[in-house]
Amino acid sequence: MPIDFARTDTGDQTTLRIAGSLDVLTASTVGQAIDKIVEERRTRVTVDLSGLDLIDSSGVAALVALYKRVRAMGGQVTVTGARDQPLAIFKLLRMDKVFNL
Amino acid sequence: MDSRQIRMTAPCSLRHRALAVRLVAEACRLARGERAGDDLAPGYDVRDPFDVAVVSAFAEIYNNVALHACAGLTDPTIELRIVVDADGVVVELLDPGRVFDPSTVASPDLDALPEGGMGLHIARAMLDSVDYEPGPPNLWRLAKRRASLDQAALTTRPV
Repeated sequence: MPIDFARTDTGDQTTLRIAGSLDVLTASTVGQAIDKIVEERRTRVTVDLSGLDLIDSSGVAALVALYKRVRAMGGQVTVTGARDQPLAIFKLLRMDKVFNL
Repeated sequence: MDSRQIRMTAPCSLRHRALAVRLVAEACRLARGERAGDDLAPGYDVRDPFDVAVVSAFAEIYNNVALHACAGLTDPTIELRIVVDADGVVVELLDPGRVFDPSTVASPDLDALPEGGMGLHIARAMLDSVDYEPGPPNLWRLAKRRASLDQAALTTRPV
């Protein structure tokens, strides 16, 4: 299952929409987008997961890295739209609280 | 017992990961169809809590096998055996790779927001049992029964 993602910047707000499967095969692609966001010091980031069908621990790691790096810059990351399997994984790893899901 | 066995042999690589994961997802769907007596609908989804548990766990174990156990081997092959019945699913994954000792893997510190070491934790937490027998071939046996899910739902239901 491929990944589909898009970044939109509106003022100081960056939205990353991730759809499909965020996993061991696709996490590096998102990782590059995350590197760019951090490089550009974007400090208000929303990750829209409403189109995400599957996630594995590699995908979770990519999102955690984004969260930690943006927070380290004094910014904030909001995760929205998680459902089904991804939401179950976030709950299992207690990240639903961190991401306010 | 009304059970159905499914087998697949495939190259042990991340390139074939989606194929293996899809097969496990379809097996779960088959089990659900048997239980409900419904016709199997076309399509592919992982929304049913039972499917979520089995597919999530299997994907993590497959990642470990492809990335670590079989790394550096020439044309390694895995065998996948799935037994499906109305009560649940047992997935066996056989690999020719390096032996692994699951007892050496500590549970991740979730409060520290880990960026690794979560795969086996996910598998163990999602399933009724995750067993490993060193080989060759090494054997992973993953089991999930629907009754355990029903029981979990009962115990977490608000009063």
